[in-house]
Amino acid sequence: MNFSKLALCGALALSFTLISCEKSGTETAKTSSGYPRGETLYLAGSQWGDPNTFNPLVEPWLVAWPANDRFNLMYEPLTAYNSLTGATEPILATLISSDAEKVVVDIQPEAKWSDGTPVTSTDVKFIYELWKRFPQAPTSYVSEFVSEITVDTISNNGVNTERVSFFVNKKARNNPLAILDQLQAIRIVPSHIFEKYLAENNNDFNAVKKIKCDSVPVVSGPYTLAQYNNERIVLVRRDDYWGNKVLHDGALPVPKYIIHPIYKNNDHFAINLQKGALDASMNYIPRISEKKKDGVNTWYDAPPYFVPGSMHFLYLNNTKAPLSDKNFRRAIAAAIDYQAISRLALSNYTPEQKPGLIMSDGLEKKFYNADSVAAHSVPLGDKEYAKKLLEESGYKAIFDEKGSLVKTLGPKGDTLPSLSIKSPAGWSDWEAIVNLVVRQLRSVGIDVREGFVDGSQYWPALPSGDFDLIMRKPPVAVTASLPWNRFNAIMSSRNWSPVGDGNSMNENEGRYNSPKAHNYNKRVDILLDEIPLITDEEKLKAAYTELNNIFLDDQPVIPVAHLPEEYYQFSSKAWQGWPTEKNPFAPPQLPWVGSGINTLWKLKPVK
Amino acid sequence: MLKKYPTTRYVLLRAIWYFLTFLVALALNFFLPRLGSDPVDIMMAQSSFSSPEIRKQTEENLRKDFGLLQISDNGEIVRDDNGKALAASKASQLVNYISQVFHGDLGTSFKNQKPVSQIIIQALPWTIALQLPAIIFGWILGNGLGALAAYRRGVFDKVIFPLALLMSSIPFFVFGMVLVYFFGIVWEIFPAVGAYDINLTPSFSIDFLVSAAYHYILPFFSIFLILAGGQAIGMRSMGIYELGTDYIKYAKWLGLKETRVLAYLFRNAMLPQLTGLALSIGQMVGGALITEMIFSYPGLGMAMLTAIQTNDYPVIQGVTLLITSSVLLANFTVDILIALLDPRVKQSLAMDAN
Repeated sequence: MNFSKLALCGALALSFTLISCEKSGTETAKTSSGYPRGETLYLAGSQWGDPNTFNPLVEPWLVAWPANDRFNLMYEPLTAYNSLTGATEPILATLISSDAEKVVVDIQPEAKWSDGTPVTSTDVKFIYELWKRFPQAPTSYVSEFVSEITVDTISNNGVNTERVSFFVNKKARNNPLAILDQLQAIRIVPSHIFEKYLAENNNDFNAVKKIKCDSVPVVSGPYTLAQYNNERIVLVRRDDYWGNKVLHDGALPVPKYIIHPIYKNNDHFAINLQKGALDASMNYIPRISEKKKDGVNTWYDAPPYFVPGSMHFLYLNNTKAPLSDKNFRRAIAAAIDYQAISRLALSNYTPEQKPGLIMSDGLEKKFYNADSVAAHSVPLGDKEYAKKLLEESGYKAIFDEKGSLVKTLGPKGDTLPSLSIKSPAGWSDWEAIVNLVVRQLRSVGIDVREGFVDGSQYWPALPSGDFDLIMRKPPVAVTASLPWNRFNAIMSSRNWSPVGDGNSMNENEGRYNSPKAHNYNKRVDILLDEIPLITDEEKLKAAYTELNNIFLDDQPVIPVAHLPEEYYQFSSKAWQGWPTEKNPFAPPQLPWVGSGINTLWKLKPVK
Repeated sequence: MLKKYPTTRYVLLRAIWYFLTFLVALALNFFLPRLGSDPVDIMMAQSSFSSPEIRKQTEENLRKDFGLLQISDNGEIVRDDNGKALAASKASQLVNYISQVFHGDLGTSFKNQKPVSQIIIQALPWTIALQLPAIIFGWILGNGLGALAAYRRGVFDKVIFPLALLMSSIPFFVFGMVLVYFFGIVWEIFPAVGAYDINLTPSFSIDFLVSAAYHYILPFFSIFLILAGGQAIGMRSMGIYELGTDYIKYAKWLGLKETRVLAYLFRNAMLPQLTGLALSIGQMVGGALITEMIFSYPGLGMAMLTAIQTNDYPVIQGVTLLITSSVLLANFTVDILIALLDPRVKQSLAMDAN
């Protein structure tokens, strides 16, 4: 039997198939020597599965990096939010003014698409008004915020600039803050290209969504797609990027290539950062301080290492007894030992836990009222307080002789059902948090258990309200509208619907403050509506304080940790000049979103 | 019928049975994923919408695209009196699915709108390239060592047997992680992650082939050694059993050459091992999920895992269909081979015929 020949043929056939899978975009296959390390920046953590499509009109969760979400390497937004300074920085446009009536921007006259066509208000209106033509467009939420878009041409030293005004939709959401957010969230796409696609497909939007946009895409940003396969996505620098001259004094971004390797396992981020094969990543890596000796660095050299930007919560089902009792919820908030969570579950990545929905540091500090927080909050991590509160509210815990909880009795003497904390299996940081919370709550007499479930059960449980307690990080981006959007995500009753099949809520999934209940607190929704319109700093602080006090009194959810929006960690083995606490020229973000992108012009290759 | 041709009759009967099993498996592949949560629910929960109307609209569009709604003849969504879109019945979906399968169409992934056949074609070569050699060489080495250990006993057996026992009892993901830790991280002899150097583009260049071969070593050994250990143990005990049989004693008394005796021994002890080989080749297409995860190696295991996590029905069905058919095919082949190779089975077939 001529096995070796057969094996050889098989191997050849296999390799042909493998090679034919590579898809190349603007650049034909690179030479075999690969991408030179000194010109290539490796970033990871955003793309997990196979890249599907690079079409920016498809629902963002189906699109591959960096054509999805808020990445501004290929398609650019009008402005970028600097999470360090709170400033709205110009990209395709400069913010001129923002008030309760309208948000006004000037489009950069020099801005150009990669095919040489100028970026104009037509492109802006195309994406912002797409919902008028196609209600299922992913940016259709704009309709609730923007009532009208007007364009004026202003002449300045012989240069004509288009001034675009976004009028606040007063009849619907009446929220200029959200329009500011959208300036960064909505990336402008080339209307001349997509109008052509629409015309070719008889105005069938779903047909246009099937175009992959992966071969010579027309973009306005500093990089464009070079190649991709299931293992990586490669971007190549556009040396004729219009913004080099306008925004960066004529300099080019330093890395010629940006590669996003697609790892299948969380450990590979740490391994590759330590080996210097990956330059920066944004996902959770435990015990980062132990990796410093291998050249892995963070914003701060000491705990909490990262800049807190988002809160992770334990959501409570406010419609279900005993969680419908606010004293029971307050007892939970008091019983949890937040320091232990930070130390044991989160490698000290979180600063000392302060109660409420306003962060006591950074840009939100100006709204933080320490006195009223102290007056309204339960003492955090105080088990005795929690036990006392439970007892006073009529709950009784039965422990066995070894001191472990048997059951909890309710105020009427009935045995309370054992509560379960849902959390996605395999999310190791959350699993550690849940394990600690369960132990801590049981020790004060609250009958809870871990409920680790598959992602396919976790995600649908949120909007439908199918949970007792559930771990949750609401989709609150670090934007100009913080902390309003955090309050809104947690307390808004706008779309309140009862728990059950077919009912879904994308905010306030814990179903707090039902508008139909006898004790409905109108003030919450009034304040949520008013805050975006308040411009006076003192009034704003008063409004936030009132809202935060209601939150602390009612405790509809439990904030368990303040964590960074992106775990920004980097290696200095191949590239130096990363922004840090000591050199804060850009916010603690990977150079792919917001004004974190400025880092690309400052990096230096290590020779 | 066909009484005069017992072997043909046997093959035909087997084929019919396997086809029926295939149909049952096809239905199971269809229904089992549908017991879990709804794929559209999973997608929608990860997105954020401002208003329930837009949310409903998007949801309906997705369901329509995925063929989960009833569609009238003129392409419109069928609605009840309240305007709620009606779901397509499971039965009509199943009929649809089966007719698609028999037309060679595996459908399109919900998640990334790629044809399922394309997803499989991209992942399958890596799966086969990693596992087929590991299985075949592991099988050959394991059985060779096992037969030798059984025959020679003594010091040889005292070394081989505990080693093989150790290898076969280590879970292969633990072994994979140990390999990564020592060879990939501590000593940095082999790359720890990926199937080739990430800065290279798959091509027929020397650089790429060298890099792919270099990255191949750790994942290969993580499967190969464990498999060889298991096979060696199986072969050794089979060999020891066969050594006690009359025909070997007789052969020895006849004074046959040692290699000749070993060959007889091998041939008889091999039969169950052969079944094992065919089965592992059949199951191979399912992908070595854990190995793929530990080494970030491309393959069908990962494709399947992501599909299950998002309840991407067409991909789950496509991959399970592939696994089902190859396991059935492998089993069928073994049945036929044994009928041809094993004189005892042959004999019994011939006796049935009379």
